[in-house]
Amino acid sequence: MKKHVNEEPPHIHMGSSKNELMLKTFLMMSVIAVASVMVLGLGAFIHILIALGTVLIIHCSIHSFQIWKGMEPTYASPASPMVAGMIVGLSMPIAAPFEITAAVAALTILAFKYGQGKYFKRKYLNPAAASKSVLLLLLSLKTLREGMLLHPHHLDLNLATAEGLQSSMWIFGRETLPFIGTNLSPAQSLFLWQTHGWIGGASSLVVLVVGSIAAYWLKFKWRIIVSTLVSMTILAAGFGVYLGGDPVLRIAFHVFTGSVIFLAFFMATEPQSTPMTNTGQYAFGFSLAVLTFGLQLFNVLGGSIIALVILNIFTDRFDKMVLKKPYGHKGVKG
Amino acid sequence: MTNHKYFFEKGGFKMDISMKHGAEKKSFRIMKPPKKAIIFMQQHIGTCNEPLVKKGERVLTGQKVGDAKGTMTVPVHSSVTGIVEDITKIYHPVSNRMETAVIVKREGKEEMESLPPVDLNDRKKIIELVREAGVVGMGGAAFPTHIKLASEGVNTFIVNAKESDPNLVCDVRLMIEKPEEIVKGIKLMAKALDVKRTIFATRTQEGEIPELERMMKAGGIEVRRVTPSYSVGSEKLLVRELMGKEVPCGKFPPDIGVAVNNVSTAYAVYRAAYLGEPLISRGLSFYTQNTGIDNLWFRTGTTVKELMGGMDEKISRYDRYILGSLMMGWATKDIQTPLLKYTSGLTAFTKKYARPYEKQLKCIRCGYCDSVCPVDIYPSLIMKADRESDVKALKRLHVEDCILCNLCSFVCPSHIRLTEHLFDGKDKLGNAD
Ligand code: SF4
Ligand code: SF4
Repeated sequence: MKKHVNEEPPHIHMGSSKNELMLKTFLMMSVIAVASVMVLGLGAFIHILIALGTVLIIHCSIHSFQIWKGMEPTYASPASPMVAGMIVGLSMPIAAPFEITAAVAALTILAFKYGQGKYFKRKYLNPAAASKSVLLLLLSLKTLREGMLLHPHHLDLNLATAEGLQSSMWIFGRETLPFIGTNLSPAQSLFLWQTHGWIGGASSLVVLVVGSIAAYWLKFKWRIIVSTLVSMTILAAGFGVYLGGDPVLRIAFHVFTGSVIFLAFFMATEPQSTPMTNTGQYAFGFSLAVLTFGLQLFNVLGGSIIALVILNIFTDRFDKMVLKKPYGHKGVKG
Repeated sequence: MTNHKYFFEKGGFKMDISMKHGAEKKSFRIMKPPKKAIIFMQQHIGTCNEPLVKKGERVLTGQKVGDAKGTMTVPVHSSVTGIVEDITKIYHPVSNRMETAVIVKREGKEEMESLPPVDLNDRKKIIELVREAGVVGMGGAAFPTHIKLASEGVNTFIVNAKESDPNLVCDVRLMIEKPEEIVKGIKLMAKALDVKRTIFATRTQEGEIPELERMMKAGGIEVRRVTPSYSVGSEKLLVRELMGKEVPCGKFPPDIGVAVNNVSTAYAVYRAAYLGEPLISRGLSFYTQNTGIDNLWFRTGTTVKELMGGMDEKISRYDRYILGSLMMGWATKDIQTPLLKYTSGLTAFTKKYARPYEKQLKCIRCGYCDSVCPVDIYPSLIMKADRESDVKALKRLHVEDCILCNLCSFVCPSHIRLTEHLFDGKDKLGNAD
């Protein structure tokens, strides 16, 4: 080392690390996982375990290989892969076959976590969303080959009308809140206790509470969450009024399905694939809501995931939108 | 040394300053004049001085040994009585270049060359005196004080006693030990500025330094408590906090009728005006893990080695030294580095003290750095633009507005030292313009 000036400032650090951030994120998601298992039972637990296990096995193999070859390990600790595994587990529909969960988890860690980082220097696409999109694409090709435009589960849905929405909601309208024994309406069920859809969205209330704490504690990109959920609510309310029917049910459906609420907190805020600027984040959240809402109206399977992946591609564009005005550029105040 | 993790948006960063708690109670230890004083010609922002003495010449304490023509200049003075041993280029710890220094070997009985007394009711004479005394911004900026005092159209004078850096406490100690002198210095500066309103901005709590507060009140000086968050000590940010207005881009506080000076600078003005002493000594906060913080009064030109010796610290134990603030100061390994007019702190780290930015990970785009930036720019995007040498983006991102407070690096979970990109970005933009 040179004798003279060696280091630029600063010489102290706040003390936090990427690893710590990941572990805390994992911890927060674990709370959601516990709630989901309570609502959905053993099946949810197995999905989460498969996702986590798959990701960890692949990560440990790559890590050991890298160490063996004398390479710098891509992830020094398993914290970040664990978060990816947990996201996969929580973003799987409860009805999905277990092998599909394993496939999504494998694709996530291999192609979109390790692969993206290595070949594109940074993650442009949300790993879990991208791998789910790939599988959705394969599924859609299969249904298309079978002459169906939409997935068979969604063929009968017609969410663009009041009646269509009402009649599709039977799936959420059969829950009874345990311990209390109250029968839940579809809207209540969507908010409190849903046994259909994403594992992570089994209780929107839990996601809202835990997600808000995590967003505050871990400084998630909260503007994305706020603008997604607010835009979605406004869109749903507006369409509810325009199309008629129960506006509360429409809001509950468009905001509180797991694919929206869980995604808004834990996937749409994934740091690497989302915008950095304030306006960019608001615009990103708004676009995510509009795109997801549109795809939901057309009954497209995995609408929010597709919307997220599409918007991830334009993240750098969002960053070029209006920037905050720096100090001294705002004119004289007060 | 750990730091707390509260942070709010827009630079209101509540940094843990527990390392300096109680240190303001420690009196200044007067350090012996150095055996050899290394007087750099460049100890201010502006044109570099030329030596006024020759090798072998005898100089007195307080004698001017370097000066230059032009407005942005302030002379430098010998801090000891002795013989000019050498005039040579040595490594400057701040400019990071070889710079001319006069080396004076202390010899014989100390003799002082005082500044000639001036009429302290004459604004122009005060400003001239401040220049002749070599007074510069002692908070670390080293901006020539007489230039600030000569600004026209100033109606508010802010005395910055914020001292927000986690390792510095010497300003507060000075406020405890020298309240009367500080008030006298402030009044002289206010006279030079010809202002009606003077604000004393301090992080101390009401009743903490009652004597100073009483004198301020008697002298018609407003005392304002400022939030103890880091980086608001920057003069532009202090103006926003106290006055509710911003200094427009490319301008300085006097352009909006405000002048800001550090409290230690006010004391240096007092010493020049009432004791006839140029700026040849000052206070500093000294820190090692061993000793905690001590307040020292040293002569400029004292080397790190001599100061450490004076503190009975074994030099071999230490690996590197930080001059000034831990957030903004530069590190050196060279124990012959002299302390300057604007050196407000010296921290000695052993090898064991980990370098927090040694292992930098990839940027995860978490945006922490952007959210704490007190001037509302985007350090993460600037880093990217700098790496890609994208001058257009650097311009759009206003890298020139960065005040180099280093909060962005401090909070980065990937431990990226963004400083180098901010410096580089400024350079690239400057070269392109
Ligand atoms: S804080 Fe560090 S990791 Fe986060 S965006 Fe800024 S530079 Fe990147
Ligand atoms: S160093 Fe510059 S970019 Fe970083 S926080 Fe401070 S002002 Fe903002």
